Amino acid sequence: MSTVTTTPSTRTNADAASAAVDARDLVYAYGERRALDSLSISVPQGTIFGLLGPNGCGKSTLLSMLIGRRKPDSGDIRVLGQPLSAKLRARMGIVFQEPSLDPTMTVRESMQLQGRMFGLPRATTEQRTTQLLDNVALTDRAASMTATLSGGMKRRLELARALLTEPALLLLDEPTLALDLDSRQDLWRHLLEANAAGTTLLLATNDVAEAERYCHTITLLDEGRVVAHGTPADLKRDLRHDAVRVEWKDDAEREAATIESWPGVGGVRIAGRTTHVTVDAASPFLTRLFQDAGSRINGVQIEETTLEDVYFQLVGKTISTSDAAQRSTV
Amino acid sequence: MRELDAIAALVVRDLRGFFRSRSQLYSSVFFPLMLLAILGAGVQDGLDPRNIDDYVTFLTPGMIVMTALFSSTFSSATYYQDRDSGILRVLFAAPHSQRVILLGKTLSSVVIGVAQALIVLGVAAAIPAIHFHWQYGVVRSVALTVLGVVLLNLFLSGLGQLLASRIRSMQGFHLVMNLVLFPFLFFSGAFFPLDQLPIWLKILGRINPLSYGVDLIQASLYARDSGGYLGVPVDLAVLTVLAAAVFYLGTSRSVSLER
Repeated sequence: MSTVTTTPSTRTNADAASAAVDARDLVYAYGERRALDSLSISVPQGTIFGLLGPNGCGKSTLLSMLIGRRKPDSGDIRVLGQPLSAKLRARMGIVFQEPSLDPTMTVRESMQLQGRMFGLPRATTEQRTTQLLDNVALTDRAASMTATLSGGMKRRLELARALLTEPALLLLDEPTLALDLDSRQDLWRHLLEANAAGTTLLLATNDVAEAERYCHTITLLDEGRVVAHGTPADLKRDLRHDAVRVEWKDDAEREAATIESWPGVGGVRIAGRTTHVTVDAASPFLTRLFQDAGSRINGVQIEETTLEDVYFQLVGKTISTSDAAQRSTV
Repeated sequence: MRELDAIAALVVRDLRGFFRSRSQLYSSVFFPLMLLAILGAGVQDGLDPRNIDDYVTFLTPGMIVMTALFSSTFSSATYYQDRDSGILRVLFAAPHSQRVILLGKTLSSVVIGVAQALIVLGVAAAIPAIHFHWQYGVVRSVALTVLGVVLLNLFLSGLGQLLASRIRSMQGFHLVMNLVLFPFLFFSGAFFPLDQLPIWLKILGRINPLSYGVDLIQASLYARDSGGYLGVPVDLAVLTVLAAAVFYLGTSRSVSLER
């Protein structure tokens, strides 16, 4: 936990007032299971902040609290320096994990409904709709029913809709889920533009690469608790330097048990016939690997360490392990 | 003011959706009229004239109530479409209380239901075989009918909303609505007079909320005088209390968005 830079006990009221989100000691339980277990985070304004963890770690539960859908069993949340309220949501936007468009409405009507629900003057809504649809390359589809849009287009429209009210805080619940690579990059281009214009982005994701690439700071979550917090570089600082992926001809588990005892080896993760090993230095490890087990190896690849390795080192499990039964939505 | 604009936006949205759904638009008006023609003409000949001398006219208020009932059920079922499309999440994330959003949904249901009921009333009034007696005068009788339909729709839409927000599947919702509302309809006096029924059915009729809607509209359109009716003040009072109660109950608990 050496990478945790901010803890509830050290945060001051000034921090809370200046933070986009300041949550302290949040507890929320679904029956017996604690989705949030004394969770505290502080999201600085103007940053891209990642909540990273596997499904069921409490990310979506936290976002649902921020938009007022759930109330914490205990703890305190302030958004943009104020306690949560319906009115405060006028300064927030959200892109949900699952599609959230009315299939009986056109693209333009979806934007207009958002404008009216948020109390924007009609002229402002029209002007910003035109501008945003142009930004997300949907101008020529403005009169189309949303049901006819592709997955990528729908996501771009959902983002444009969320940005219509120029929110100070934009909540993103796995916004690129099920999008192809081009659509992901496209969406992130727009998100980065919004961030550059001053919008704080709070991203809940289990996509390690995405969080590492785009987030300024990241909080790693496990079972509703913060396990580490910092910049991607901070989080990886204490980690072994290199990562080696070894594909075995046969049983990876037996090989992993042997490798774990070698000097200079950190975490060993197993996925099928592959082991992912973090090591102090790749060269001596590879030398020994080929000497001791060369005939049983199918292939070897040296990789950079990722936040997945950090998470595994801290928690002992991977982020990408999904448990559909635990998944909740905002 | 912002709340009113949000409610208006929701009503406009639902109306637009209704008019885009042609099958719902046509069937909601044609079904009661078809029933009026077939049931009215068919049963008329087999009736003992000592009981009801003009069955088609007698049946018309019941068809108006049935239109309100079906319309409210359909409108309440849009809750599931909104939930499943994800738009309900977006609406609840707007800077308004849950009550404002649900009021908007309820009012759109009321507007659609009232419009449909008035179309049925207008068409029925133009049919030569139907002879309304307008005992309070045409304008007052129409106004009372409209008021009755509004209150009935408020109650039924509120009830639909209340059930929809607590029943996870649309199939379950329709099952419960059919189980509750069809007996309501049959023992409301919409198809046959309640005063000729056995005592236990009379009691059921009196505790049936739809009876008060049927009574109000029959008294306004069909009756020659107020004898044998519960009375307009009673009908209005009961419907108002029921509408307010279900709306309060429907909005006082957090609505689940889980499927």
